[in-house]
Amino acid sequence: MADLQITSVTKRFGETPVLNGVTLDIADSEFVSLVGPSGCGKSTLLRVIAGLETPDSGAVSIGGANVTTTRAADRNLSMVFQSYALYPHLTVAENIAVPLRMRQLTHLQRMPLIGGLLPGARGHRQSIAAAVNAATEMLEIKSLLDRKPGQLSGGQRQRVALARALVRDPAAFLLDEPLSNLDAKLRVQTRAEIAELHRRLNATFIYVTHDQVEAMTMSDRIAVMMGGEILQCATPEVIYEDPDDIRVAEFIGSPKINILPIERVGHQLQIFGRPLEWRLPPGSPQIMQLGLRPEMVHLTKRTPRLRGRVAHVENLGAEVFAHVMVDDGAMRVTLRASPAEQSMLVLGAEVGLGFNTRAAMIFDADGKRLRKIETMVGTAVEVA
Amino acid sequence: MTREWWKHLVLVLGAIVVLAPFYMMVSYSFKSPGEIDRGEGGFFGRQETMIDPRCVALRQPGRAEIEDASSRFPGQDDADVQAALLAETENDCSMRPVVFNYTKAFTEAPLLRYLLNGVIVTVSIFLIQVVVALPAAYALAKLRFWGRETVFGLVLFCLLIPVHAIALPLYIMLAKLGLTNTYAALIVPWTISVFGIFLMRQFFMTVPDDLIDAARMDGMSEFAIVWRVMLPTAIPALLAFAIFSIVAHWNDYFWPRIVVTGNRDLFTPPLGLREFKGDGDGSFFGPMMATATVIVTPLIVVFLIAQRRFVEGITLSGMK
Repeated sequence: MADLQITSVTKRFGETPVLNGVTLDIADSEFVSLVGPSGCGKSTLLRVIAGLETPDSGAVSIGGANVTTTRAADRNLSMVFQSYALYPHLTVAENIAVPLRMRQLTHLQRMPLIGGLLPGARGHRQSIAAAVNAATEMLEIKSLLDRKPGQLSGGQRQRVALARALVRDPAAFLLDEPLSNLDAKLRVQTRAEIAELHRRLNATFIYVTHDQVEAMTMSDRIAVMMGGEILQCATPEVIYEDPDDIRVAEFIGSPKINILPIERVGHQLQIFGRPLEWRLPPGSPQIMQLGLRPEMVHLTKRTPRLRGRVAHVENLGAEVFAHVMVDDGAMRVTLRASPAEQSMLVLGAEVGLGFNTRAAMIFDADGKRLRKIETMVGTAVEVA
Repeated sequence: MTREWWKHLVLVLGAIVVLAPFYMMVSYSFKSPGEIDRGEGGFFGRQETMIDPRCVALRQPGRAEIEDASSRFPGQDDADVQAALLAETENDCSMRPVVFNYTKAFTEAPLLRYLLNGVIVTVSIFLIQVVVALPAAYALAKLRFWGRETVFGLVLFCLLIPVHAIALPLYIMLAKLGLTNTYAALIVPWTISVFGIFLMRQFFMTVPDDLIDAARMDGMSEFAIVWRVMLPTAIPALLAFAIFSIVAHWNDYFWPRIVVTGNRDLFTPPLGLREFKGDGDGSFFGPMMATATVIVTPLIVVFLIAQRRFVEGITLSGMK
């Protein structure tokens, strides 16, 4: 187990920049997710950490040692691939034993027939068999040991790939979208199992996913990547509640956060031409954006801040999501309501919407968070 | 059915064209020289006992033998003894044509030795070709290095060079090295097979990159990846290549004929056929065809055993 430092790593494929100076510190036994839309460079970053890609500049160090130029085989990392990448010609037991055989046995000892006769090989073989046994027991795949990967289901292959990764005691585990080829039910189950595995092994995990739910549920910290940069790296709570960037706010959270344009007119703040009661400090920008999570928006009859018509209702049982068209149908606002309020949410009905100004997030036109203005707005409301 | 019949007709006609020479070869290997000359006897010939004229000619009783034998035929003059001995010899030298043809095939020339040479040469060529082609194909398919496309272009270019065009320079080089009339002369020129490199490279392109990355993470060196991961996954393609390589070099007449000039111990099976090419006194088609049958049988047996996987390899079905 070890900590990892990634310092100003850049990488381009031909003319296309993929990583633009990524810096990330990962503490020992931390579970960090790299999350972002496809093509954001998260897999490339993982491959740079693994040693499968060489960065154009920057450094990677594991446990304090600079490994930027070290081969993948010598970095002592384990990796689980999206396609599982099991050796098709080996049985499950042999697949899991490969990392140990390659590292613990010498060339001669790996030879068929004579390998077994060499001094020391026997002890090594027994310890390898014991480690394979322990790994398969942990993942409950003991009954599959003699099968070939071609005879396994997707979920079973995934477990074998996990077992192959954790049969050793690596500095860190790298997981590249390991759940994306599983069906939805199995994904939820395996998600919990991987999180539990992390707690049990107390090892460093770096987990790449495009699925924000996986990142939110499993990680100690989430690094949201976009366009080859890490936009923000923080705990799931901070990422969700206090994003630095509008792209982070939009990527994390389902349904997506509502972004509404707001405008400064003199000292007053207006939304869709209607004045909000907030007063703005001098020097604030002209155009800003207001971020409202669906659960921050509520139905109200008295002095609504927004009015609109219900366009779509999704009843999930425990909660109801409604899409309301505001600004004469130009913008869509999603809100979360309780099932009790569903009677108000008739398609086409006009409803009033309110929101808590303290929870609202304000971003500038480029999407950077304007925390200073938010605090001032907050106090302004109290005064008002 | 009605719309497919013409396809089957074409295939049947094609099969007849391909199989006819084999039919002739096997049929001739069963027949007596007379039947072959007269073109009669159906497929198997009549299998009447025949007398080997050369056997009789070689065992013509001489003066000494007639005197020795005279005690066995008391009261007969020399001419009678000679006639009796001749009858015995003819009796010894008479046999069924099929037995005659196949015993001739093995006794007239050291066919077993030729077959052994054939095995040594083709297996050595194939093994060395694999040792060269697999790492080369792996590098061309999966490693990124400067000039890779150029090198691959050269491989494709080499596919276009006919063997016969470079035969003479190759021969001269081998002769200057003093390697003619050795196994090396039969093997070395064929050890780098651009076709093998090309075929394996195309197959390796279908192997997912993740598998190679997983092997790197598991601590394998690049050479270990070639032999421990790529080789086992490429068995079907390798089998296809094995058939091409072994058939080509087992049946090769041209190159052994050039570099093996005197030493009959180095003859490969096709050169064995020359033993029955009687220049002045006509050819021995029966034994010659028997030899040809013996030579092609191992190939046909191997092909039938490997047929299913061979077709897999040709279609490059890849993984999954």
